Amino acid sequence: MRLPCPHCGLRDYSEFRYGGDASKERPKHGTGGFKAWHDYVFLFDNPKGPHREYWQHVLGCRRWFTLTRNTATNEVGAAK
Amino acid sequence: MGSRGRINAGKVAIAVAGHTSHVAKMAGLRLPVESHILQAFVSEPIKPLVHHVVSFGAELFYISQSDKGGLVFGGHIDGFNTYTQRGQFPKVQTVAECAVAVMPCVSRLRLLRHWGGIMDMTPDGSPFICKTPVKNLYLNGGWCYQGFKATPASGWTFAHTIANDEPHDLNRDFSLDRFERGGELDEHGIGNWTYKQ
Repeated sequence: MRLPCPHCGLRDYSEFRYGGDASKERPKHGTGGFKAWHDYVFLFDNPKGPHREYWQHVLGCRRWFTLTRNTATNEVGAAK
Repeated sequence: MGSRGRINAGKVAIAVAGHTSHVAKMAGLRLPVESHILQAFVSEPIKPLVHHVVSFGAELFYISQSDKGGLVFGGHIDGFNTYTQRGQFPKVQTVAECAVAVMPCVSRLRLLRHWGGIMDMTPDGSPFICKTPVKNLYLNGGWCYQGFKATPASGWTFAHTIANDEPHDLNRDFSLDRFERGGELDEHGIGNWTYKQ
């Protein structure tokens, strides 16, 4: 699998590190009950299909970006 | 509801490694589970070389030998969530490097088979054997890398949990709400957060 780094272009996935589900909204600091934070940190939709996620180009420019990828096919969409 | 009609039961237990989140979702549950891919390998058959399981903790690697002579081995998950069951090539290289680091004599062996399986990874790397917030629905899942050797204890404590609607002492800590209670299990603890490993 190759991933499109917004800075370096298309590179092998082994240069990157997966950073988790990017569709979850982090509760604002000082707000949200215990349950809201628990759900944010520990629960996953874990979809079989389109998934928005964080990646970091750790062995390249070290940039963080979000990517849409289909978890059923590994088809990679646009990076932001 | 199946293809042949509705199936009713007083109690329902989920034990569906690889797709635990999807079955639980039918009951309205959202789980601390993310599904990742783990690759496994079998070499061509050779004469007896390894008579037990060898684990290599410096990376993460295991190797054993089947009755037919093939070396059976594997390593880490690929590092991202997927249901494709197709392993990524760089991980083949990493696992082969581990194999040769532990046992240099295997370097010229050829691979006979290789596949990827889906692992339901939990945040602390330990499974669930528990009741769920839905009455009469029970969960056995999130086994991460583990499971096969734990099957007898897993089945026995799960049966106890279902029959008594209460966990056994042995699986009390493997509950679904342990992250809310600060009760994460510290057993090596390689969970789904691959960027922390």
